[in-house]
Amino acid sequence: MKKGFLIGGGIIIIGLILELIVGPVKWEAFAWPVNGIVLVGFLTIILALFLLRKKIPAFRFIGTYQAAIPTLTYAVVLTIIMGLTKQTSDGTWLNSMLTFWPFVLIYVYMAVILGMVILRRHDIPFLLNHFGLFLAMTTATLGNADMQRLMMITNVGEIEWRALNQNGEVREMSLTVELKRFIMETYDDGSPKRFASEIQILTKSGKRIETTVDVNKPVEVEGWKIYQYGYDTQMGAMSQTSILELVRDPWLPAVYTGIYMMLAGAVCMFIFGNKKKNVNRKLSNCKSQ
Amino acid sequence: MITWEHFIYFAIAAVLFWIVGAWAAWKKKTVLAYTTTILGLIVLFSFILSMWMSLERPPLRTMGETRLWYSFFLPLAGIIVYSRWKYKWILSFSTILAFVFICVNLFKPEIHDKTLMPALQSPWFAPHVIVYMFAYAVLGASAVMAIFLLIRKKPLISELEMTDNLVYVGLAFMTVGMLFGALWAKEAWGHYWSWDPKETWAAITWFAYLIYIHYRQLPTHKPRWALWGLIISFVLLQICWWGINYLPSSVGTSVHVYSST
Repeated sequence: MKKGFLIGGGIIIIGLILELIVGPVKWEAFAWPVNGIVLVGFLTIILALFLLRKKIPAFRFIGTYQAAIPTLTYAVVLTIIMGLTKQTSDGTWLNSMLTFWPFVLIYVYMAVILGMVILRRHDIPFLLNHFGLFLAMTTATLGNADMQRLMMITNVGEIEWRALNQNGEVREMSLTVELKRFIMETYDDGSPKRFASEIQILTKSGKRIETTVDVNKPVEVEGWKIYQYGYDTQMGAMSQTSILELVRDPWLPAVYTGIYMMLAGAVCMFIFGNKKKNVNRKLSNCKSQ
Repeated sequence: MITWEHFIYFAIAAVLFWIVGAWAAWKKKTVLAYTTTILGLIVLFSFILSMWMSLERPPLRTMGETRLWYSFFLPLAGIIVYSRWKYKWILSFSTILAFVFICVNLFKPEIHDKTLMPALQSPWFAPHVIVYMFAYAVLGASAVMAIFLLIRKKPLISELEMTDNLVYVGLAFMTVGMLFGALWAKEAWGHYWSWDPKETWAAITWFAYLIYIHYRQLPTHKPRWALWGLIISFVLLQICWWGINYLPSSVGTSVHVYSST
């Protein structure tokens, strides 16, 4: 295990050096096709490490518990630091952990370890848990740059086709939205019970859709999910404005495949529990004799 | 109409049933243990259901409401573990813990108003929180087991495996709770994972338990270290559950803090 902790420590030092030289990780640079190329490269490296593991002992080590446990420990410690510091766009390295090289590299190394053990082991519950996590982690991270989150401010009776991205720049959409009616219901104390937008969507292909967007009930149109985001809070129930969020995430099916695999893996974990315990018991018996 | 004021009657009845169940388990009166524990569960669950109806929403929003579920799930987890592995002490343990949570709710109930903000009105709400509460209950059992084994000089292999079983069940539920949360977050907030403080601490807790189960697989591991790891994991779980409400890093930034409204 000492070796594992030393390697993890080395990765963190490399991360710190990178942070000093090139600055924080620029995730937006990973937009398609860069993320696709990086993913292929990453998988190739893992496969190469796996195939060369018999010749090079250091590579074999990557797929062991002695490598995995220290890495998980480093990941927990770094994530605790993240949980204890306010995450803001400005501030120290620790305030933007998601772009902090040591944090990113430790998680990448964890993905490498996952990749190595996936190639080695073949029982299904094990694969569901480990491959599911590998798939969800890598595709969520690499796909993040391709995710679009736009705000569309709609007014009753007006047709809107523009939306603002996260940097406040105006984007023209391939669909238009007309707010027919803004619905607001409140509790007796005035707090919101429901707010929703009756809208008419017109797509480029000429489809006309009449629908209602509620909080927790987004509408999906041609790869976009439309969410009820906000309204004119000063006007409250009388608001004539509704703010919609339009989200597109082309990598979502891959992430969801990973999530569903992990769900199935959790069911297996509940049913079968620890399958290796008999092996362990034998080992401990051997030791004590 | 059943309200919070009636809780004490249900609570006393449920706890009495569970005490009889715990005693019966010690005395190896299995049938009696099952019957009384389940009767206690029915009593408490009928209160939860009545609250659900009178509040016109699932009672899952405030800390007091989640404690209600927690005190329901502890004996439920206890009876499942009892039926599976026949540990005669488990029902005493689950009864004591459930009693503690019931007392907290009796002496420090939190306001149970009717409002439920739109963000929480979702079919995901109940499964997400209920599955998590069940996980917390089972992992709480494993933490107490760890303390018990650490106090004793040398834990038996069978006792360590018993602890492992609890962690596997707890971790399975925790994983489901977390992933249900991710699927819900996509529907409610547009993204399945946003590193909100609650999510960050959920990841921390999840990884901490992963360390435990991986470390236990290591043939050369030290059982006492593993047990300490389990206690630390449970402390992290507490931060995730209610501690973040007091952490300066998450106050005002977490979308998961609902009870203050």
